[in-house]
Amino acid sequence: MDRKKTLINSSVSNNNSTIKGLQLFIADLRSAQQAQEQEKRIQSEIVKIKQHFDAAKKKQGNHDRLGGYQRKKYVAKLAYIYITSNTTKLNEILFGLEQTVELLKSSIFSEKFIGYMTLELLYERSEVVAKVNDEVNYQLMKDLSSSDDNFVMLALNFVGVVGELTNRLAYNDDITTGVFKILRSPTSSIYLKKKSALSFLALLKSNHSILTEDLQRKQLWIQRILSLLDDTENYRLTLATIPLIEFIAKYIDPSYCTRLLPQLTEILYNCVVVGTSRSSDNQFPLEYTFANMPNPWLITKVVSLLSILIASPTERDSGSLLQTNNIDNELLNKLRKCVSVAIELGTRQAQDPMERIVQNTVLFSLINFASKLDPSDEAISNSVTALCSLLTSKEINIRYLTLDSLVKLCSSSGKPAIDAVRYKNLDMIFHLLNTERDSSIVRKVVDLLYTFTDVENVKIIVDGLLQYILSPKNLAEPQIKSDIAVKIAILTEKYATDINWFVIISLQLLSLTSNTTINDDEIWQRLCQIVVNNPSLHRITCERLVDYLCKKQASEAIIKAAAFLLGEYSSLITDRISSANLFTLFAEKYFSAPNVAKAMILTTMIKLYKTSPEIGSNVIKFFQLELNSLDIELQTRSFEYLNIIQLAKVNGNTDILQILFEPMPPFNSKSNPLLKRLGSLPASAGSTTLINTPSEASSSTPDLLSKRANSSRSIMVPMPPPSRRNTIDDVNSKISSSEDFSGKDSYYSRQILAPNWREGFTRMISHKQGVLFTSSLMKVFYRITTPDAQQPYVFHISLAFINLTEWEITGLSTQIIPSKTQGNPEYLIMNINTPSTATIGPHKRAEQSYEVSIRKPFDVEDSPILAIHFKCGGSTNTINLKTAIGMTTTLISSDVNPSMHLNLAQFISRWKTLSDALGKEGEYQKSGIKLNKDFRKVETISLEDGLLLLTQTVKRLGFDIVDQTSVRSTLFVSGIIHTKSEGNFGCLMKIQYQVNGTVNVTCKTTTAGPLAKYIVECIKNVLTK
Amino acid sequence: MAVQFILCFNKQGVVRLVRWFDVHSSDPQRSQDAIAQIYRLISSRDHKHQSNFVEFSDSTKLIYRRYAGLYFVMGVDLLDDEPIYLCHIHLFVEVLDAFFGNVCELDIVFNFYKVYMIMDEMFIGGEIQEISKDMLLERLSILDRLD
Repeated sequence: MDRKKTLINSSVSNNNSTIKGLQLFIADLRSAQQAQEQEKRIQSEIVKIKQHFDAAKKKQGNHDRLGGYQRKKYVAKLAYIYITSNTTKLNEILFGLEQTVELLKSSIFSEKFIGYMTLELLYERSEVVAKVNDEVNYQLMKDLSSSDDNFVMLALNFVGVVGELTNRLAYNDDITTGVFKILRSPTSSIYLKKKSALSFLALLKSNHSILTEDLQRKQLWIQRILSLLDDTENYRLTLATIPLIEFIAKYIDPSYCTRLLPQLTEILYNCVVVGTSRSSDNQFPLEYTFANMPNPWLITKVVSLLSILIASPTERDSGSLLQTNNIDNELLNKLRKCVSVAIELGTRQAQDPMERIVQNTVLFSLINFASKLDPSDEAISNSVTALCSLLTSKEINIRYLTLDSLVKLCSSSGKPAIDAVRYKNLDMIFHLLNTERDSSIVRKVVDLLYTFTDVENVKIIVDGLLQYILSPKNLAEPQIKSDIAVKIAILTEKYATDINWFVIISLQLLSLTSNTTINDDEIWQRLCQIVVNNPSLHRITCERLVDYLCKKQASEAIIKAAAFLLGEYSSLITDRISSANLFTLFAEKYFSAPNVAKAMILTTMIKLYKTSPEIGSNVIKFFQLELNSLDIELQTRSFEYLNIIQLAKVNGNTDILQILFEPMPPFNSKSNPLLKRLGSLPASAGSTTLINTPSEASSSTPDLLSKRANSSRSIMVPMPPPSRRNTIDDVNSKISSSEDFSGKDSYYSRQILAPNWREGFTRMISHKQGVLFTSSLMKVFYRITTPDAQQPYVFHISLAFINLTEWEITGLSTQIIPSKTQGNPEYLIMNINTPSTATIGPHKRAEQSYEVSIRKPFDVEDSPILAIHFKCGGSTNTINLKTAIGMTTTLISSDVNPSMHLNLAQFISRWKTLSDALGKEGEYQKSGIKLNKDFRKVETISLEDGLLLLTQTVKRLGFDIVDQTSVRSTLFVSGIIHTKSEGNFGCLMKIQYQVNGTVNVTCKTTTAGPLAKYIVECIKNVLTK
Repeated sequence: MAVQFILCFNKQGVVRLVRWFDVHSSDPQRSQDAIAQIYRLISSRDHKHQSNFVEFSDSTKLIYRRYAGLYFVMGVDLLDDEPIYLCHIHLFVEVLDAFFGNVCELDIVFNFYKVYMIMDEMFIGGEIQEISKDMLLERLSILDRLD
């Protein structure tokens, strides 16, 4: 053991807590010279303990005849027996379970601890759980709510350790609630909070429905969990909380977690950039430094979570994940800075081996994360160069980790990374393949080669891999050779541009005779499948197979493939070898082949007879000989084939053979079954240059030629790798569909809005600036501006948050939630800035802004939701507001564009034109809209004043109103609605004012569809607020 | 990313510590077989020419390190990043060393229950919980003195 100088001068271990009887027992076992003697000692101890436990059951009144200390000692001995026997003596110690549970009830810590410790060991066995779980759960609930933090700690440890070993804790609501209560409570110590975070995670892994069954609980509990990250310098709690949040993001719902991006970036930046800085500003706490690196565990966990929350530029259907174009530039730059610093650190020379491991840990973690940050090709190439320089390291671990990182980088970053590796470093990689003695590293090298193979370099790669397999000095690793053979088969099929080469390589694989495990059936079966489906391969393959058969040492796989294919297509090569000679060739191979191959050869023989009846006498003699075979299958087959031949002869009808042995029809399967054997490669490995083009309707079978066409096109248009989440196999972990039946994201639909949200919502439709929301804690102001007059469909939204209290508001963060993020959304949220500060002093303010781009018409009710999260005076708050962006927001006032102004005659003419052209298609009518109190006050004054107010309201929206006096109670309104993707639309409206305080609105637009309805809904909101 | 199990055994293959976090099988025989297989796999590796990472099964790979005759092994998911787990092991051993004072196999044998206490303070649910050695040792000192 390394004799490291420790911070504590003397041993921490306390001899007072030694269990003397246990020590003596262990010493006895260790002094036993023979296993038999040790076994004897164990058995005698078990007998003695059993006697004591049996006696303890005969309690007299309340007196416990077995003291707590004695119980603890005996249970500890049983635990030791379990461990030292390599867990093989479970059944012999089960009698002690009852007393072990009794220890849980003790009020003495050390006794309780031994009880929990022993059960943590044994709960891995289901029979133990079945016996004692009910009693244990009861005691857990008591300890979780104990006033002694040490007892709570023991219970949390137990839940965390066994929570995934059995789901009986996770389905006990009292336990899950008890654990969460500790996590949530503001009075819990950090120590208990971090334990409860990981314990809750263990329960959640066993039972997702803790958070998915009850929507309200889901929202409340998740918000509480996320708020734990708001203190970005509490590294102790953060380290334990992030795995829980990562699980929520991956398996429950990522939408809730995207708001954590600023906090996560801050943590990562502080660790990687500030924490490694040599300047005097670096105040990173030393206690969280390991091997001179600030908190490498926290770094890797944060990066892992960020990798889930941020969709890479090429990830499609990313749903509610963050996109780089929606990430604050400042945050994005900080993240990129972290990557570049990690590269600089990782290539720095460190003396201590563990320090080098840690530096490379951080480097690999961040380099793989970089592909999420929309890196330039040059940045990717630099990353690859940095990694490849580590391949020359003398440390074997670093070479292994570098290769692993390169595989991931090539898989995720696509062509730039792949090109950087293969054009500059291919020789080095082949050198590693041929010199490395560690099977783990060889495996990684092969994975890397597989990852960046494409149509250009497939021959070089395959040749290199083949040479490795064929080399006699690499005989020691048969499993690896088998895996490499599988990869060669896959690559050869996928990238074959030369059908001759494909056949040559495939048969070369099959001909390997050094070890039978290399020749998996799947490879030769796949070859047959492809040859059958490609007539152009029939002849060349048969010719090659004959060549292989003529050699002395034909492999089993070659014999099988030859038996099948030559049986089908021997007529194609009769000019080269007669059926009689083929028969002789197979007869020679028959007696040295395994039985399965023999059976295939028998079938081949009757097929040869079908093609060339002149060899009948030889075939018949062979079958008659095999009637005496020791193998019942071969005997039966020979008997059946003989009868078929004789039946055909007797009836003089050779058609029976033609019918029974018709040519093999094409195979339907398009997928390569070998793909499932790629093992630990990322799901996207090898797919970055593959186009998954749908087959033509007429093509029902896989076609090698079309694969070639696809491969040649792949150079032009590399396909992005599939989402990382495709690697998640657990059915229970599937995230529910992000869209509900209404077409909106389910996350948007589930938001519960603040009680008086509509007041601000309506104001936002009507006015370009004002108050969005007011509560006793906070007031929110908004302003809408149009940055570019030429793009009236793009808006800049500025928000201000005012602290109305006498206390500090902390942990301020927000989310802008659009109604749709995929499936051609009607509008996009862009350029989101985070709040200018997460902490607002009393009566101070924080600001934020974002942009909305309207692509096509939508209902104002589907406007973006603003979620505001903050803490104030010990309470955690979430306010959800709808920030109104409607079709009327895209109007441009006629003051700006006078040419839009219409007179009454023009209005009537256009109204008629629209009616003639679209009829009711582009029209929407709504009657009886009740006016708000402002209008009711005015009503008592005069009709003229009411109309004036109505006029002002409509004008403020941006509409133009016809000057006319003919129809006194009606406004004739026109305007142009702008969208980005679908262009502009004309809009005409008649707004009829009624004396009873209601309004009738009829709207026509220059397009059919719901646009007219959307416009009227905006009007209605404004008038009825 | 989480640890599936933690194992510690000596050169003869006798288990000194075992901790399962994840149910890999409900077959009792299989966990015993797994321990035996892991021992054979790791003890046969050439430490000068082979890495500290090795694939073990379709769903598990091993990260291991040897300290003075004891192998410390962690089983993790196939797609997990390996290097951080070397840090897990190293920190665990450092804490044992500080707690026992130049720890050796005998300390672990005679005080196995204290080692489990240390393990519970460092790992819960397969995740590392605390990385500050000072904090850990302070906490362990308190727990060790309790009755």
